[in-house]
Amino acid sequence: MRRYRTHFSVATGCLLGFQLLLLSGCTSRYDDLDLSAYEFRDTRNLVRFVYDASLILEQEGLSSLGYFRDNYTRYNTSDRYLYIYDMQSNNLYHAGMPSLEGRNLSEVTDIHGRNISRMILQALRDPDNPHAWVHYTWWSPGSFYPVPKSSCLFKVKTPEGIEVFVGAGMDFPHEEKEFARIAVDGAVRRIETAGAEAIDELSDPRYGRNYRDVRVFAFFRDGSLLISPVVQDSLMQLRLLECRDEVGHQPFSRAVSRLDTRDRVWEVFMVRSRYQRAPVRKCLYLRKTALGPRELFVGAITDLPQPP
Amino acid sequence: MAEQKKSLEYRFDEVPPAGHLLMLSLQHVMLMFVSVGLPIIFTGQINETTEFASTLVALSMLAAGIGSIIQSAGIPFIGSGYLCPNVCGPSYLSLSLSAAWAGRIPLMRGMIIVAGLVEMALAPLVHKLKQVFPTFIVGLVVAMVGISVIRMSVTSLFGLEFRGDAIRSEDIVIGMVSLFVMVISNIWGRGFVRVYCLLIGMAAGWLLALLLDPEYRHALAVIQHSEMFAIPAPGPEFRGIHFRMDMVLPFVVIAISGSLKSFGNLLAAQKISEPHLEQVDFSPIRKGLLADGFSTALAGVLGGMAVDTSSSNIGLAGSTKVLSRWIGVAAGAVFVLLAFCPKVIVALSLMPKPVLGASIIFAGCFMICTGFLEMFSEEWDQRKTFIVGIALFFGLSTAFLPVLYARSPELIRTFFTDPLPTTTILAVVLNLVLNLDRIVARLLERTAKGG
Repeated sequence: MRRYRTHFSVATGCLLGFQLLLLSGCTSRYDDLDLSAYEFRDTRNLVRFVYDASLILEQEGLSSLGYFRDNYTRYNTSDRYLYIYDMQSNNLYHAGMPSLEGRNLSEVTDIHGRNISRMILQALRDPDNPHAWVHYTWWSPGSFYPVPKSSCLFKVKTPEGIEVFVGAGMDFPHEEKEFARIAVDGAVRRIETAGAEAIDELSDPRYGRNYRDVRVFAFFRDGSLLISPVVQDSLMQLRLLECRDEVGHQPFSRAVSRLDTRDRVWEVFMVRSRYQRAPVRKCLYLRKTALGPRELFVGAITDLPQPP
Repeated sequence: MAEQKKSLEYRFDEVPPAGHLLMLSLQHVMLMFVSVGLPIIFTGQINETTEFASTLVALSMLAAGIGSIIQSAGIPFIGSGYLCPNVCGPSYLSLSLSAAWAGRIPLMRGMIIVAGLVEMALAPLVHKLKQVFPTFIVGLVVAMVGISVIRMSVTSLFGLEFRGDAIRSEDIVIGMVSLFVMVISNIWGRGFVRVYCLLIGMAAGWLLALLLDPEYRHALAVIQHSEMFAIPAPGPEFRGIHFRMDMVLPFVVIAISGSLKSFGNLLAAQKISEPHLEQVDFSPIRKGLLADGFSTALAGVLGGMAVDTSSSNIGLAGSTKVLSRWIGVAAGAVFVLLAFCPKVIVALSLMPKPVLGASIIFAGCFMICTGFLEMFSEEWDQRKTFIVGIALFFGLSTAFLPVLYARSPELIRTFFTDPLPTTTILAVVLNLVLNLDRIVARLLERTAKGG
């Protein structure tokens, strides 16, 4: 009998503990920070890292630069480093390359000739890009070879009334679906405001929202290409709507038909990989808009995270 | 003290008191819950909605729960009668995704039914395996069942969600503490502490995670938005059952591989439950494989993911010496009930990955050592050294060198898939080849006697 009472107590204790767990709703300082769009922890950590620094700047103002300088090691880790600029691209603080402090970087371009400061200022104004992501090529402190980099930025108005931006980037970043969304949504917005004039800008391989192998493309309902996903000129006619993946699935055709009932679609498909036994999963993000009287489909293709 | 310890251990045909039965089944349910991550991963990979994920989880849990009841209840003709619960089978994930991409859920359902039927068709053939599965190969297969969960358990213990992502020191601490609490409770614990070592370790790890990491605390907020009770309501995307001829072969191959894995699991369950048996009793194993195939087909009919026998739960049973099959039945029933409680499913699915990883490592240790003990329990010779050695070299190489096999000729790619099936097939073939002289001599002797 005593043993059953003990069983009962243990069971009740566990159930009560579990109930407490069910009822608990916790708050954190990141409640205002929506990170649900990011799949990788690296990306979420980077956004939090910059967000934390932006809160310090917002509260303490430019006097916090002293604090940041006293804590270089905290803001320069093996994964990322922090930097702060004013809106004229004058560097106020650089944890990774302190020698840049006090210099104006408004004319600096990456190895593809893209002006980084201009991309940053555009990203900070972009309503489709809440954490102002920019993608460019840079180099790691102390190294001598270029690395792809994705940076996230927060604009801050200090108590002194000065606008600055604070940011940090990661080398060899993960390909987040959110980056493809930002690229496509920005392109759609651009087409809807500038019409045909936007097409030349979007076709340029140096278009600011393209990154690494992910580029925005566009085609009409009949499948004719306006901006090709693979080659710049029309060396060969790519029939997107007839394209099939490794398992015979037609991602473009299916995405277009799904867009009859919704605003935007994510369509998964599979491609062959030389290095993996199973095909690799990729994802097509597609939206529908209009160019003059014709329906236009704008999209981008990105990788999906692989299980560990 | 020894008497008390013994009183909390149950043989495979004993019925524990109700309270104890409930708590022990909950311990197994916690471990079974590890597999609920699969339908969630699946949903993410085909870009479906959260509602879709909840329905898929519920349907998969229903299939796994019913499968566990059938497997453990020991009813005539079907089910091994051992504590051997069913969970969502990771080996089916990749092919299920291929089917879902090619023909959405109806095709996945159809192909899972095909796989289940193939497993059921293979079950009656198991008694013919007596000759090709001597004791040391049975031991090797059991050890490989434990070895095959290494990748999943270690990546989970390190809290890794995706390949190449960041690892947090907090996760390593949580996983290690959880594992050590389980091990210490199992070695030095007495009575309840020893029997509930897994639950205690899980609770310690989860508590530590809530204290150490705000992300785990923050994640709990989503529980508030879930309903306490809901009947799974499959949407239109679940309707229909389709088949495709070109997918039959891959599903047959994975069904054979799944059968081999379940064969290993059932052998381990038998070894733990009935250690006095000098030879493998193939009758419960045949019935167990039949139940396994039936559960897989049932999962296809219900619209859930394919299910498989759980190595981890067998390991847990062995490490706690609590072997009652009624715990498997109760755990299955709890799993079925939980399928109707979204709030609890969400809460349990928030269990920190390092804690899950620690649980699988804890159970896997037992599987590996049981297998090795079995393997070396009989007299050893050079033939066995090469049979086991070569099978292990190539079997394990499929895990160490996946890129190599991805670029190998088609024939090799077909057979060199994962450590467990590859090692098993190689060991069986090598055992026949390296004992050819003995087999021929035996045949000649029989012929001479006959003459």
